[in-house]
Amino acid sequence: MKSTNIISAFIAVSAITFVVGASGCIKKTKKKAETTTEATTAASTDATAAAGAPKLNNSELKIGMSQEFENFNPLIATMNATTIMSKLAMRDLVTIDADGKWVPQLVKSIPTLDNGGAKIVTVGGVKKIEAVWEILEAAVWGDGKPITCDDAAFAIKVASAATVSVGEKEVYTQVEKVTADPANPKKCTFLYDKAKWDFYQLGTFHILPKHLEEKIFNMYGAENGGYEKNSLYTKDPYNVGLYNGPYILQEIQLGDHVTFIPNPKWWGEPPKIKKIIFKYLPNTGTLESNLRSGTIDLISTLGYSLDQALAMEKKVKAENLPYTVLFQPSTVYEHIDLNLDNPFLKDIKVRKALNYAMNREELVASLFEGKQQPAVHNVTPKDPWYTDDPSKIVIYKYDPRMAEKLLDEAGWKMGPDGIRMKGGKKLTFTLMTTAGNKTRELVQVYLQNKWKQVGIEVNTKNEPARVFFGETTKKRAFDSMALFAWVSSPENTPKSTFLSTNIASAKNGWSGQNYMGWVNKKVDKLLLDLDVEMVHEKRKAIIAEVLKYYTDEVPVLPLYYRSDVAVIPNQLKNYRLTGHQFPETNEVEKWTLE
Amino acid sequence: MINFILRRIVQTMIVIVILSYVCFGLMSLMPGDPVELMISANPKITAADVARLRSFYGLDQPVYKRYFNWVSDIATGDLGYSRTYRIPVEEMMGPALGYTFILSITTLLFSFAVAVPLGIISALRPNSRIDYTINLFNFAGISMPSFWLGLVLIIIFAVKLKWLPASGFQTTGMEYDTYWDEFVDKGKYLILPVLSLSIQSIGRFSRFTRSSMLEAMRNDFIRTARAKGLARNVVVWKHGFRNALIPLITIAALSLSSVFSGALITETLFAYPGAGRLIYSSIMGNDYNVAMVSFLISVSMVLIMNLMADLLYGVVDPRVSYK
Repeated sequence: MKSTNIISAFIAVSAITFVVGASGCIKKTKKKAETTTEATTAASTDATAAAGAPKLNNSELKIGMSQEFENFNPLIATMNATTIMSKLAMRDLVTIDADGKWVPQLVKSIPTLDNGGAKIVTVGGVKKIEAVWEILEAAVWGDGKPITCDDAAFAIKVASAATVSVGEKEVYTQVEKVTADPANPKKCTFLYDKAKWDFYQLGTFHILPKHLEEKIFNMYGAENGGYEKNSLYTKDPYNVGLYNGPYILQEIQLGDHVTFIPNPKWWGEPPKIKKIIFKYLPNTGTLESNLRSGTIDLISTLGYSLDQALAMEKKVKAENLPYTVLFQPSTVYEHIDLNLDNPFLKDIKVRKALNYAMNREELVASLFEGKQQPAVHNVTPKDPWYTDDPSKIVIYKYDPRMAEKLLDEAGWKMGPDGIRMKGGKKLTFTLMTTAGNKTRELVQVYLQNKWKQVGIEVNTKNEPARVFFGETTKKRAFDSMALFAWVSSPENTPKSTFLSTNIASAKNGWSGQNYMGWVNKKVDKLLLDLDVEMVHEKRKAIIAEVLKYYTDEVPVLPLYYRSDVAVIPNQLKNYRLTGHQFPETNEVEKWTLE
Repeated sequence: MINFILRRIVQTMIVIVILSYVCFGLMSLMPGDPVELMISANPKITAADVARLRSFYGLDQPVYKRYFNWVSDIATGDLGYSRTYRIPVEEMMGPALGYTFILSITTLLFSFAVAVPLGIISALRPNSRIDYTINLFNFAGISMPSFWLGLVLIIIFAVKLKWLPASGFQTTGMEYDTYWDEFVDKGKYLILPVLSLSIQSIGRFSRFTRSSMLEAMRNDFIRTARAKGLARNVVVWKHGFRNALIPLITIAALSLSSVFSGALITETLFAYPGAGRLIYSSIMGNDYNVAMVSFLISVSMVLIMNLMADLLYGVVDPRVSYK
């Protein structure tokens, strides 16, 4: 046999495998939603994109995101990517809009004590709330079945079951009973177990289509995990009856993309874009190439980090690219938790000195080009509870002299090497954070330098995120300082992070999130009082008092409030980032490509 | 021979059981669990919720108990449920393994198709200009990081020239009228990842082929064959190449053992929904069921391919016998 024959044979084998592989071996997983909607003829635009950047139109929008998505069952889904996508197809009783206000979605209005929709009742000597939620008359599931009180009651039943892995259970279990008006199955009276002010905040209370899911729950609900394994959201996710939003699922390819098309039974403002595809791109470094090559048209909030977005914004300006980089202040609070068990940090003067020696304004200006706001405490400016009033809280403006004075008063005298000493010990701390996070590493270097100027030595020690969060912070195993972020939402009571009963310990299975070890009985009482305070202004006053203790006692060093970023095509209109856990897709029907 | 195969199969099973327990134990030592993810995504999750969910997932039980639960489920054919993605493991693993197999086998065959002839040509003309050129290409290929090459390929072919797609495995939303359409579309998406993965393998395989062929061609029986006046092709292919095959079989078997393990970096770079990415994210997310099934597949493939290599040695080399 000649050598050329051998080469030909290899090439032939290779080509055959390629042919068989590319076309035949993969089991076709694609399945079409059974719908009469007009909107699905558009084949790929990737091919056209490859030929030259096409002008976008309402036939299709491809969104890139770098986070995986999961099962779409709203009760058990937890990933942010799934939340963003699911809002195309599923709506809730209420949500928070882009202006940070609670607004109705599936209901006519939000019941309050003021508008008479809710009232305090006493049942068996216990004060409770009774609220009337009236579902919109036109609101139906994708198969045309009306959404009723039964769907809400069924969701509570499923979520309350010990065999279902619902994350936040209290939002369901707080509703003791749902009673439908005999004359109107859409008029529901919720009886809450306690008279709590936030009874109407049901943004994470997701209803389920009882007419489809009940038989599954009855069949498998007794078995641990049985319902979620057999739910139609798992077994038949293309069933249009599972959805009640402006879009329905057309195709799910786990690990690659999800396609949505308009829901023909949607009762609200008709969606303009005929097909929306979410494409999973795990490497954020390739988002730009995918955008420029037309594989995606938009980079969602789960894409770029702030530094990448800043770099992209410069390119957009320099090359006059047809995109806009959006920066939206969010409810994510970047901060440093201080371990109050550290003997040096037990001294409040040292903690205050650390705070005075940080120049947050300079930090955000130099590292983030002013696109993120300096933080004063854990409540973000998006929140109605926010205050930066110096008469209510302690504000720490950059003041290195004050820092030095406080350290002197605490007995820390400047040593010959520029580091303060007391009793033969150096004033040294270890600042820990997640390894590989470029922004945090830059912040570490900046702070090290600032603190060194007042005689405080800070060493850095970084760990992979799963070690840092899974072990170090969870078990309070950080020596002195832990730099990370808390995700919040407007008017979120900080009980999990502030209550002294939530100090993580072996006793409570390391399940508390008060990693600082902060104990303030007055704060504990205020937070418990807050739960039952029905007057907004009084709640604001309570939170302001909590923040006074928080800023005065400095269990935490606030850094900055993070911004959400996205890159959108200039043609896309009505796209608004929210900056909180209720994403921009809650208004997807308004989006249009002009 | 049959005894040999049976003995090896029994050994393989024992190794799998021992390794699976070790792997399960090691995974449980890793910090964090899926509940941590929930906490980070929802600020309203309470300490009570965390404790309840840990108990729900059995994360509060000792390792041996969790391992036996897992083994008993596997024994009944239930691969379990992914805690991260909340769907049955087989539904996730099946397509991912398929995509990875296509990518890996295409890369492997393409690499061999290019590397073996290059190695042979190089070995037959040692220290010639062509040998030096091929060696230069090989070393360049071996030294080039595949992720860097992948990025360069994306920039050239997807962004600048716009000839090929930057990522994915098929055009989203595409309807295929014929198998040819499907082949062309999916093939287009395979070109860049296959090229990115192959360059390094080609260099490596070509170097192996060259050295084993060179060694084979130095044997006395080659000189004898030439002295007998046999044709050059017969000397090269029948006597030389056949003897050079043994080390190549080892490499091929080892490479084949990883066809289901995926290529993490390349899959991530090209957003290719293969098993490599899935295995990585399952380990990082403590998604035990997915990680353990992936582990079983990887270990089984390595052991099976080693067994096959041992059997093939006997086919190509009559001196090898099985007792």
